[in-house]
Amino acid sequence: MSDNWTNRLSEYLDGDLPASERPALEAHLQGCGDCRATLEQLRRVVARAQALDDRPPTTDLWPAIARHVGVVSLDARRARRRLSFTVPQLAAAAVALTLLSGGSAWLLHRPSAGPPSQTTATRSPDLKYVGTYEANPKYAAAVASLERVLAQGRSRLDTATVRVIEKNLGIIDRAIRDAQSALAADPANSYLNLHLAQEMRRKLELLRQAAALAGART
Amino acid sequence: MLTTLATLAGLALAQQTDTTVPVRAGARLEVNNFGGEIAVKTWSKSAVRVTASHSSRDRITVDASEQVVRVKSESRRGPSQVVDYEITVPAAMALALSGVYTDITVDGSQGEITAETVQGTVKVSGGVGNVSLKSVQGDVTLEKARGRIDLSSVNETIKASEISGDISAETVNGDISLVQVESSNAEATTVNGDVLYDGTIKDGGRYRFSTHDGDLRVSVPEKSNVSVSVSTFDGDFSACFPVQLVGLKTKHRFTLTIGSGSARLELESFNGDIRLCRPGQLAKDKDWRAKNKDWDKNKDHDQDHDQDQEEE
Repeated sequence: MSDNWTNRLSEYLDGDLPASERPALEAHLQGCGDCRATLEQLRRVVARAQALDDRPPTTDLWPAIARHVGVVSLDARRARRRLSFTVPQLAAAAVALTLLSGGSAWLLHRPSAGPPSQTTATRSPDLKYVGTYEANPKYAAAVASLERVLAQGRSRLDTATVRVIEKNLGIIDRAIRDAQSALAADPANSYLNLHLAQEMRRKLELLRQAAALAGART
Repeated sequence: MLTTLATLAGLALAQQTDTTVPVRAGARLEVNNFGGEIAVKTWSKSAVRVTASHSSRDRITVDASEQVVRVKSESRRGPSQVVDYEITVPAAMALALSGVYTDITVDGSQGEITAETVQGTVKVSGGVGNVSLKSVQGDVTLEKARGRIDLSSVNETIKASEISGDISAETVNGDISLVQVESSNAEATTVNGDVLYDGTIKDGGRYRFSTHDGDLRVSVPEKSNVSVSVSTFDGDFSACFPVQLVGLKTKHRFTLTIGSGSARLELESFNGDIRLCRPGQLAKDKDWRAKNKDWDKNKDHDQDHDQDQEEE
């Protein structure tokens, strides 16, 4: 995952690679298993991100979510978007996946949030934060925002529910730490990057669900 | 809390309500219940019958329009606490059932189903179209459904059988079991639990199964055409049948192609083992079971529960 073409794969996937360079890259792909694997991973990231975008909001039990979803165009949320990874590395793409979800969560829980702009949804990640989610300001802001909502409504939750939520957040945090430790030793490992992104997304999802419960009658 | 509510319910459920209203085809049933039970079964009549056991202080209302039959309870002192509903509906009627300390069961439905609870189980037999079942602290069980199926828990297991369509199952602390599945698009993911998939692998299909701390067991039927990507950090891979590994980087990350490889199967377990078998073999896979004695016992998970109960 370190030859000269690796950093051009995202451009290739996006259709942004100049036509004059495409044949050379395609010829390289024929003989480079690493690049083929990396390209495949990138395709998976894009597919997963698009699938996330398609997920409709739940309505019945999670009234707080529904309330906030009301300020966002459902059609816009459901519209499939072309994702552009201008920082063309797989690790960055994995974090982009998380930030798409995290950004959505943050927008949903802003009291006066407007519709998410295309710019926000497709903004490229900053590579320097890969693998250090606590230091990633967008992710940290999303987590902090949801934790505030949850803290404000915590007294309305049954203690058993609170305990279960905290236990499961702990399980996810442990998985995140495991992935981070593994990544420290093998930062180019595409599986570990995707796994970390998945667990980060899962934490946001659980926080969002818990915050919504705190706003409901429990 | 559920136990407390159940005890209170036993003392307080002193009154029965029994109401039947006619419904038109296409109408939807909406029930929201704070605590107790919602049990739905079907019949061939174009009517909805609602029977409810509840406190004499509560009043059950059944509000029927052309589009919706809405069932709810009210108390002179605010919302009702515990109501046990038994509701009979036309088989094709769409159902939207929700509660907090509520167990939900549905039997024989041929319509869309949304069922969501916080502390309670969701158990459904049937469902066509969008079938969405969620619980935070309760098992989610589905059988004999087809359509777009979305199953979610947080702290419990998910089990589905005899289902077909697009399938998504996600929990955090629990196992996921999907058996007798016919799908070209299936995904199951958990953090602390095992995943079992015993179903079809269709040409062009996409399948993704992942866990952080658990094992994966997945069936691949003979004559399947599937590209399998295997990723683990600290687990092992094995198969009940001969496989040829290609693109082997390490023993923890590789791909293998079966047939033309037109379907895509992604298998990821950070700390656990991954095993491929033929359909029906998984339950009989003695080698694997001997090595993973806790599979059926859900040992770790049960220990968590025991701990919870002790704390309570």
